[in-house]
Amino acid sequence: MIETIEASRCPRCDAVVAPPATWCPWHPVPMTPTAVRGVGQVVSFTTLHAAPEGFRSPLHIAIVELEGGARFVCHGAETRGLRIGSIVSIEAIDNIYYFAHMGAMERARLFWRRAGHAGDRVNAIARSLAKRIVKGRADAAS
Amino acid sequence: MPNVWIAGAGMTRIGRRSERLGDLMADAAHAALAAAGRERPDFIIVATMNPEEFVGDGNFASNIATHMGFAETPALRVETATSSGAAALYAGVAQVAANLHRTVLVVGGEKMTHLPTPRVSEIIGRSIDPYERAYGATMPALAGLVTRALMARRGVSAREIAQVAVKNHANAARNPYAHFQQPVTLEEVMESRMVADPLRLLHCCPISDGAAAVVLTSERAAVKVAGIGQGADALAVRHRNDVTHFRATRDAARAAFAMAGFGPARIDFAEIHDAFAPFELISLEDLGLVPAGKAGRATMDGETALDGRLPINPSGGLKGRGHPLAATGLAQVVECVWQLTGRGGQRQVQGSVALAHSIGGLATNNWVTILEAA
Repeated sequence: MIETIEASRCPRCDAVVAPPATWCPWHPVPMTPTAVRGVGQVVSFTTLHAAPEGFRSPLHIAIVELEGGARFVCHGAETRGLRIGSIVSIEAIDNIYYFAHMGAMERARLFWRRAGHAGDRVNAIARSLAKRIVKGRADAAS
Repeated sequence: MPNVWIAGAGMTRIGRRSERLGDLMADAAHAALAAAGRERPDFIIVATMNPEEFVGDGNFASNIATHMGFAETPALRVETATSSGAAALYAGVAQVAANLHRTVLVVGGEKMTHLPTPRVSEIIGRSIDPYERAYGATMPALAGLVTRALMARRGVSAREIAQVAVKNHANAARNPYAHFQQPVTLEEVMESRMVADPLRLLHCCPISDGAAAVVLTSERAAVKVAGIGQGADALAVRHRNDVTHFRATRDAARAAFAMAGFGPARIDFAEIHDAFAPFELISLEDLGLVPAGKAGRATMDGETALDGRLPINPSGGLKGRGHPLAATGLAQVVECVWQLTGRGGQRQVQGSVALAHSIGGLATNNWVTILEAA
């Protein structure tokens, strides 16, 4: 289940920020409410080993660039296998947002929706398979 | 170029101090005034980041002015988070340049070590965007995010980052005013405990107490303020398109060099805000002191060491000298003044033009000051 995340857009520069802000950070104009899909690419992530009061250590924090432009800060259950550029989905649990690696089915669904032409799809599948084989070899080697 | 000179500089030893904040700041201020050969200033600018929470005192400009014997001298307080000292210097330079006052005392200090580390971290964390803070982001956490991106996208290695800490500890060991008096090895840094992956304990500056002060004057003195500039960026780190450099440093450097009328090639040595070791590498490039992508290499090759082409942080930097928040921006300037006037002791470097770079918050309010031996 992919969340819809409340955001706001600047009518002047089209910047999208999440959560919504009253004013654009870069222009003195009110922002318009909008929403973005809770899926995106990891910009960076860290694991805090001495989390502040009220949080459990280790605390995984990531910046995720959501589809639709906003960059979002959220928690995660783990960072194993996570990389900068990884595609993650955002889930809300008790009003707190968490990133999660997307399962194979979810990724496939997203992939089919995104791929435009049949030719592109075939190419993309081939690339994806090639990547997986290369990665499998690398993993086996290490 | 403003006609503003530094007539005197003074600071306390940085570290775990038992004295009260007011006493530390008075010591630094009196030392700077003595060095300037003046008994009292026309105006006082006070830098403290958060005395309300660290020591429980407010109305702090009056508090400090009265405490150090200048009850009837006008004083104001300046605050831009961890760069407050540099911001206070700017306010003083502006006053003297505008002929509002002839002699301005700028003094910064912070007292932190009497509080438990989580509490100190919480207070420093007030300078972080509230939403990011609500997700547990502390300064080390945000620096960890920056460092991972730096390593992944700019190819900076863990050894290069660790070497910054090794170099700055080595410099600090020659500085009697520094918090850390011991060198560290590359292995010790690289094996120190993980704080905010990939940032380790020995990549981070310590929690320190201390104070620093300078006396600014409109009369010719040994060191001239050649340029000073500020740069700003969004409070929220997530709002930035690129987290592997700091816009606020680039803008501050541009403004400072424009005021000075020359470029980074003239800089002989610099004090750089290395609250986290990778920030020195980022800043070297943002300041234009090293070509893009070369900061790690330059550090490994010893170019930024005490005996290198461009000594960086001869004092030991925030990493080695320590980081008493609002004192830091001024402690950097004190070090530059001492170096420019041949009072660098065991860590003396050669040069007539120095640069000081201070980061406020997670690079939301940065300053660059250029000083020249007159």
